Amino acid sequence: MLLLDSIFIGLLEASPLILAAMGFTLIFYLNGFMNIAFAESITYGAYSAILFNVVLGLHFYLAIIPSMLLSGVLSVVVYLGIFRPALNRGVGPTEMIILSVGVSFMLRYGLILFVGPENLFLNEPNITYLQFFGMGATNLQLIALVLVLFAAGVLYWMIYNTGLGEQMRGLANNRDLAMASGINPHRTSVAIWFIAGCAGGLSGVFTGVFAQVAPYMGWNVILITMLVTIVAGVGSVRGAVLAAVVAGILTAFITLITKPLYAEVVLLTAFIGVLTLRGARTA
Amino acid sequence: MDYLIFSVSLMLVYIGLAQLLHIQFGLAGIPNFGVVGFWGIGLYGTGVLYVKAGVPLLPAMAMASLLATALAYVLARLVLQRNGQAILAATLAFATIVSTLVVSEKDLTGGVQGLGTIRFPFSDLEQRNLIFMIMLLIVVCALIWISAKLRDSRLGRQLVAIRDNEELAASLGKNTAATKRWVFAITCGLMGLLGGMSAPLHQFLVPYQLSPSLTFAVWIALVLGGKGHNLGAIVGVFVTFGLFDILIETYAPVPAEQAILLPNFKLFCYGVLLVMIIMFRPLGILGVDKPKVRSSTTTPPRELSNASVEKG
Repeated sequence: MLLLDSIFIGLLEASPLILAAMGFTLIFYLNGFMNIAFAESITYGAYSAILFNVVLGLHFYLAIIPSMLLSGVLSVVVYLGIFRPALNRGVGPTEMIILSVGVSFMLRYGLILFVGPENLFLNEPNITYLQFFGMGATNLQLIALVLVLFAAGVLYWMIYNTGLGEQMRGLANNRDLAMASGINPHRTSVAIWFIAGCAGGLSGVFTGVFAQVAPYMGWNVILITMLVTIVAGVGSVRGAVLAAVVAGILTAFITLITKPLYAEVVLLTAFIGVLTLRGARTA
Repeated sequence: MDYLIFSVSLMLVYIGLAQLLHIQFGLAGIPNFGVVGFWGIGLYGTGVLYVKAGVPLLPAMAMASLLATALAYVLARLVLQRNGQAILAATLAFATIVSTLVVSEKDLTGGVQGLGTIRFPFSDLEQRNLIFMIMLLIVVCALIWISAKLRDSRLGRQLVAIRDNEELAASLGKNTAATKRWVFAITCGLMGLLGGMSAPLHQFLVPYQLSPSLTFAVWIALVLGGKGHNLGAIVGVFVTFGLFDILIETYAPVPAEQAILLPNFKLFCYGVLLVMIIMFRPLGILGVDKPKVRSSTTTPPRELSNASVEKG
């Protein structure tokens, strides 16, 4: 029963994490560096939802799509404006991470200067509490879970079954060979950064609607996203999905048996353990 | 005046941390994103020993730094032979574990309510904060001197060799894994010592002080000043902490309603500065300084020593 509960709660809680991990993995796979500024894709997705849902008064479910797209556009702008010139200059992977920290600071504190540091709330649609087989969830949580699983499915299909996905995998594995085969690296990169931004934005909308919208919301999940991605291995989108689900279920399980704070400690320790054991295969 | 002494003392702590990071990242190439974790073990270790166990301040600091060294050694043993991104994530996770445990172990650390009060040494003297600032200054000067000596030493050259090509260094018969582990553990222990020295500065410890922004502030300062230059840490901390936290926050005439936003504006500027520096001057303001090649016993041919200088 405890196991069933934790699987159920874990899936509900992990649903935004799955999307975030997939988006983060795409960029990690394509460009070979951990983009900490991806946290701001999540945050900006949630703030775009505030713009469409609260300021412009759109229904919550209708606001999801433009917020997602806006976050994707931001991701492309950041790529074209900062990361692509840096990559072309040959900045190393560790320096790229530091650069992405700078971009993250710029975007996050720019946002705070612009909209203020207060927490904001989305106008949620009417929430009903459903119960079945002794387990309870709100309709919003279930809809979010279904939507996230759908989006994750589309993303998965895109990476493993479409031309764009194939081009991306080609570029990631051997850039020169891919270019010699006629793949336009510029167009593919822009598409991938757009899709990754959309995934982050969607993740942010759901994180925001379950709790509140705050400037630090993306930053709070980026560490766990990063660890999930590294444990899953470079660019393995399958692995990222699996590791995100396992992380969610593990967190729910530990939270049920101890204090929530210990869940984080145990999870992080487990990640360090996995990094140690996986040896040279990591990242 | 007291406030200025406090600010300068805090700045000295930042310079010390950035200098140690220069050894870890600039010389040995270890991306330690858990600076605040090791500093925090020193801070809270000292605080807990001093307040709860009644240990005098200086032994408490020493014990806390030893604890930081030991934990850093264990962490190094676990992940230091992985690649840079894994080390980065693991050290970041370590810092998060430290700050989470400080919140959860209320009986020991006081949790979110805080832990206090930690007094300056020589607490019966009028100028105790000035004396403490001078103590910090001595420690930081010693760190800068040590890292300059280290860079020109055999160990320093070995570290640079490890940073540039670890397999090659190992193939020359150096035990690279052990060297990295010990350098990492000792420098992290010194970060713990700086943490212990920060305890009387803050007097009252709260978990908020362990937020990752300290790590990033130190990183930004080092990258800005020049990670490969021995004086990069000082320049970087002057440009970031000195300029924003001391000059602007204390002396700039800012109206009260905008003053709340000032820390956010500061971090925004840090972000912009960091992006500009990596895009246009990746080696930092000072660039990389060349190590002195000193030949004491055998004098190598002139061309050879010149070549090695240029390579290094």
